[in-house]
Amino acid sequence: MVHEHDVIIVGAGLAGLRVAIELVKDFDVAILTKVHPLRSHSVAAQGGINAAMGENDSWETHAFDTVKGADYLADQDAVEILTREAPITVIENERWGTAFSRKEDGTIAQRPFGGAGFPRTCYTADRTGHNLLHTTFEQAMRLGVKIYEEYFVTSLVRNESHVVGLTAMEISSGEVLGFAAKAVVIATGGFGRVYARSTNALINTGDGCAISLRAGVPLKDMEFIQFHPTTLFGSSILMSEGVRGEGGYLINTEGTRFMNTYAPEKMELAPRDIVARAISTEILEGRGFENEYVHLDLTHLGKERILERLPGIREISMHFAGVDPIDEPIPVQPGQHYSMGGIDCDKHGATSLDGLYAVGEASCMSVHGANRLGGNSLLETLVFGRVVGATVGEYLKSAKSESHDIIDEEVFKTRERLQEILFRESGESPADIRKELTEIMDAKVGVFRRPEEIEEALKVIREQRKRFESVALGGSDKKFNYSLIRTLELENLIDLAEAIALGALMRQESRGAHWRLDFPKRDDERFLKHTLVIMSDHVMRIEYKDVNLGQFEVKERTY
Amino acid sequence: MMFRIARSREGGEINHYDLYKIQTRKGMTVLDALFQIQDKMDASLSFRYSCRGAVCGSCAMLINKEPRLACRTQVSMVIDQSMKLKPFPPIIEVPHGWDKETEILIEPLPNFPILKDLVVDMTKFFDALEELKLWESPTDGDETRIQSPKDRKKIERYVNCILCAICFGSCPVNYEKEEYLGPAALAKAWRFNQDTRNPDAKKYLESAQQPKGTPMCDLIMNCVKACPKGVAPGGAIRKMK
Repeated sequence: MVHEHDVIIVGAGLAGLRVAIELVKDFDVAILTKVHPLRSHSVAAQGGINAAMGENDSWETHAFDTVKGADYLADQDAVEILTREAPITVIENERWGTAFSRKEDGTIAQRPFGGAGFPRTCYTADRTGHNLLHTTFEQAMRLGVKIYEEYFVTSLVRNESHVVGLTAMEISSGEVLGFAAKAVVIATGGFGRVYARSTNALINTGDGCAISLRAGVPLKDMEFIQFHPTTLFGSSILMSEGVRGEGGYLINTEGTRFMNTYAPEKMELAPRDIVARAISTEILEGRGFENEYVHLDLTHLGKERILERLPGIREISMHFAGVDPIDEPIPVQPGQHYSMGGIDCDKHGATSLDGLYAVGEASCMSVHGANRLGGNSLLETLVFGRVVGATVGEYLKSAKSESHDIIDEEVFKTRERLQEILFRESGESPADIRKELTEIMDAKVGVFRRPEEIEEALKVIREQRKRFESVALGGSDKKFNYSLIRTLELENLIDLAEAIALGALMRQESRGAHWRLDFPKRDDERFLKHTLVIMSDHVMRIEYKDVNLGQFEVKERTY
Repeated sequence: MMFRIARSREGGEINHYDLYKIQTRKGMTVLDALFQIQDKMDASLSFRYSCRGAVCGSCAMLINKEPRLACRTQVSMVIDQSMKLKPFPPIIEVPHGWDKETEILIEPLPNFPILKDLVVDMTKFFDALEELKLWESPTDGDETRIQSPKDRKKIERYVNCILCAICFGSCPVNYEKEEYLGPAALAKAWRFNQDTRNPDAKKYLESAQQPKGTPMCDLIMNCVKACPKGVAPGGAIRKMK
């Protein structure tokens, strides 16, 4: 049996829900998600959502900060949409019920964030993603959006010219089912779990990016991985930029606020790539505690401010590191945080495959270029959720349904493939492959990159793909087989890791989050370009594509 | 450290308990231990997870007879902790052979149908949100509404709810009465009722006060003790009663 809808959205975080809300009145729309919508990673976003709403602030200033933060690799036409639509997007969610933190006069409070010329980050304490996601989910519920909950997407189905649907495994039964749709929207978020040390939820495995790549759709700018400067030592849980926005200091073993050396003007509020490199340098040069971490010190902020503005940070520090930031500094180190790259698409979410759209962290439009500013990712999900929804609506008006035969065929093939894994009695352990893969990415394709190390990583990634061919789970059941799901996710991670490493190897320059020790300078002549990774016949190749420049002239980037 | 884990291959009832020996390390959480089992010992063990940082609400389960988030519970601290919950059958009845001193006991969250092992059917929990229509019905307008920090503070506690269902699983009334809407949904109704921005606040209170809502609560307050986020649903219900 094949389920049929006008449009299927894969992923139920903020971006996916917002697309569905845009379309539900006029079309038969369904969301397919591997977890309940409220378990999506949007829920974990802490610091806030940017919008130029302050008196002297403007969308142009916000756009400039974003483009400069992106080290000029962002497409300026997409950034214009992001920043122009920001205030109305925040207003919409406020009117849906999000309980933003307030200033004394009752208007929405805004805090300073890294790389921003104004305090323009709206927030709800340090639980902004949680509030926005619950509110947006409430609205999706109100509008009666159909949700296939706990379905794991296994492949896209396409014909010569356009997408016709997808296959997915119903997690509760283990059955593979077919879904027909005139349009498919990928909103599966980032792929942080390519790295062992990541702030991301365990479910962030880039499933939508991987199935798109395998369906012949290019991925873009995959080498641009954001390492968040401050993740909790031990568990890599995010310690929001809001902590520094509220006045937190970064301190090394010598008791020095070392950001003075790296960004004397912006100090702790320099953009993330710069702060992450600063911390890594301090640790590498022997000024880290236990050679592993630095201190994020809030003790001077006082109990009251910490309790009011950063209660979630305090709770996490206490429960996961045994540290109360009112009394002691928090041990932090950089860790993977965000995927600037993703599915190559234009500013309306359209990919090179007709009927396939991408939105949110899974997409690369690109609004973040080589480095995303804090507070711009929640914004991206909601602004482009609406934009992509409207675009899909236009497309649906003239799109036609296709025969289901090709979907049935793909369901059959997928079922066979999964059974082969399930029935294999002995073989390689997925946990071992995952460990080797993610640890080599931490070690060799991290904050500082060397070509020989990236090549080493590529070799290990390809070995893991070979090992994966004989992966075996050990005895498991059909129902709720999370071992199988984690194994299928691992397959996705292997492809994405290779795309990241290839992009990183070929880009012989340093820009934003991509830092090559052998090419420490930006090279606009050769690399003011987007990287495209294309897979055909199981082989990946790289192409380059121009950046859409605009009103902001490409300049040197200093803070 | 030994883990004794409730198993239910086909769902419905707990069929038996399996015993696993965990290699512990500093800072290890119960969720880490469950992954160690799934990765190294028994691929068939099923449990839900997502954020591993106590914000998504996926991994609520019964740990040593107390409902907790597995990701936020340190293995080293389980044995000494106590929520002092008022007892009811699922947290009283102990499986044969459980050695409290040396084993951590893991079971599915009570008051929900078991689907497989530690995975439960949360349909009725989420259905209650829909039944009470726990959302704003937005009106047109192109400006944000005004709310003083003091008014915002009134709902702070309740907007922090992550809908993990630990309150529902800790509630003796939910155990006895299938139809009771449960603490989380009622506390959320109070959140909307108390939100000064909401023009239609009364409707949430009225729907919460239906027979299977607040009148059914016996103010036992297990929900307040068990909530991992300090939401204190019982306090909200008391005010609505």
